[in-house]
Amino acid sequence: MSDERGQNQMHHGAHGALPALIVGAAAWLVPGGGHLLLGQRSRGLTIMASIVCLFILGLLIGGVSVIDSPAAVSWSALQQKPWYVVQALGGLMTIFTTVATNGHTLPVSHARSWEIGTLYTAVAGMLNLLALIDACARAAGEPTSPASVDQAGKQA
Amino acid sequence: MGTLPYLLSVSRLLAENAPGYTYNRPFVQPIPLWDHWYLWLLPLCAAVAIVYKSVRCDSMRKVPREATSIFVMIVGGLILCAVLLSGLSYWF
Repeated sequence: MSDERGQNQMHHGAHGALPALIVGAAAWLVPGGGHLLLGQRSRGLTIMASIVCLFILGLLIGGVSVIDSPAAVSWSALQQKPWYVVQALGGLMTIFTTVATNGHTLPVSHARSWEIGTLYTAVAGMLNLLALIDACARAAGEPTSPASVDQAGKQA
Repeated sequence: MGTLPYLLSVSRLLAENAPGYTYNRPFVQPIPLWDHWYLWLLPLCAAVAIVYKSVRCDSMRKVPREATSIFVMIVGGLILCAVLLSGLSYWF
């Protein structure tokens, strides 16, 4: 257990100079990219595999039309397509799907297919936000798990 | 036409057309999940459990056990909610 904490602190120490902003940008663009940038390979790959699979399954269930981008970048346009806000947290996956489907007439899914497809892609975006926050916290050297929070409290 | 009759006619139309639905363009057409749609919630719960525990655990070695535990808790909670809500809708 102490070895694991030591490794965690070693990662923080080794990558302490890496700005949290860069790590955050990498984590947003590529799910798990922030952790990979910090040298946490298995954590990054696990997060990447889970989020990418979830997003692809969402597209498979509901079709690519579940990524329904607003017509313009404005508050009123975003209010018409609120799911896109959380789907956009998926980073490059959402951007690529938006660009690839832009201007094409696609079959629109309905009922359960649309609901579950949208839910999958939106949850993938929100999980990427969770991973992004964690990667930024690790880059800034903040304690990230209950055990490390306790240890930091004892040291203080 | 009122909202309820309209929804009923649309659902009837979907049900009538379901057997004739041909699915041959993956990622373009939605997959025909008319029945057992709720089983698709299991991969979603699994992904949430894995990512959440990957973020929370100090060591990645703990993740499989912890993620399995939280996955069972999520699915159990969903089943409990479903039973309670169906009971409420049955009695009231």
